[in-house]
Amino acid sequence: MSTPDQQAQLLFPPNVQYNASRIYSIKFLSSCFAGAVAGVLGLENSLGFALFILATLLTSACLYVKCKGRPAKYIPGGWWELVNPGQENISSFILVWTLFYGIVHVYD
Amino acid sequence: MSSNAVSLYLDPQIRDWVLFPITVVMILVGILRHYVVLLLQSAPKKLPRAAIREQRALMRSNILRASSANSPLPPSFYQSISQHLSQAFAAGTFLKDGPPKSDAPTTPANPLSDPSQMDGMMAGMKTQMVMMVPQMVIMGWINFFFQGFVLIKLPFPLTLGFKSMLQRGVETPDMDVRWVSSLSWYFLNFFGLNGLYRLILGNDNSADSSRDMTTPFAAAAVAPQGPQAQDYNKLFKAERDNLEFAEGLYSWVGKDIETTVLKKYGRLPDSQ
Repeated sequence: MSTPDQQAQLLFPPNVQYNASRIYSIKFLSSCFAGAVAGVLGLENSLGFALFILATLLTSACLYVKCKGRPAKYIPGGWWELVNPGQENISSFILVWTLFYGIVHVYD
Repeated sequence: MSSNAVSLYLDPQIRDWVLFPITVVMILVGILRHYVVLLLQSAPKKLPRAAIREQRALMRSNILRASSANSPLPPSFYQSISQHLSQAFAAGTFLKDGPPKSDAPTTPANPLSDPSQMDGMMAGMKTQMVMMVPQMVIMGWINFFFQGFVLIKLPFPLTLGFKSMLQRGVETPDMDVRWVSSLSWYFLNFFGLNGLYRLILGNDNSADSSRDMTTPFAAAAVAPQGPQAQDYNKLFKAERDNLEFAEGLYSWVGKDIETTVLKKYGRLPDSQ
């Protein structure tokens, strides 16, 4: 069972959809919290983005453990799907980061 | 040369009266947009049974073919379904208007003249309009009321090229690009709130701004009406060939299963 087609055939579509939406919510919440942490700590420039990458890796590590080490069984696309935060979450991170940075450090 | 040590002091009232209200308004308008689109959608038109059968027939054969190389169906089932579909496609029994009269030229229906498809296209355009209008209104509102002052400092640097866009009302050539006006806060919200909408409103929400930008007018309208404009007769003929091809590839997962099971438990004598 090595070709991607055959692997995709083994996955049950409603379950895959459920998994995908759960994973999306988890990624979104983790990027929001990462943004809040970065903002409150006052991280700038590359430090902030480094925190985002760190948070992404931490989240994907947790998801990997949840998948019992076999991500191919739960979502099509294997481990890259787990790690990839997606463009929307990057923008959410930047939004929340700017918001908290502004609240804590810019305003008196 | 702006020194990094000096920072502007902003009045906290700006935070209370501009920062939070813009965000709250955008969230609420997004939710409103979602519900307005929901209310504006007309109920899907009911197709007659023959038309649905025509559309589904292709799907049935696709599903059959998709798993043919490792098929869960035993040979008798697979062959009989495959042959039944093949004959039906050849004779045109699934076609909406019955088997084709032999010499009549079959022309696909013109999408613009078919009234059922016009409804679909209008619905697509209506939703596009509903999506655009609130964005324009909010941009105008922000430009009118919240213009001329610096709102927030971005935690990351940007090039000077962004200065004209992000510091719209503030005419200072020397200020760091990181101090931005309210319009750029609008843009940040515009891009960043999609995830929140997906969380609150569920996956298929209409408040998603990323959808606005990726669907040109045609794409949204084509999806439900595409099949009706195509000539099903030709599609069925092509599908017959595909079915034959798949039959050549067909192999049952349970083939020789007795041997496999016996071998797995080591009960097979070594006389092979």
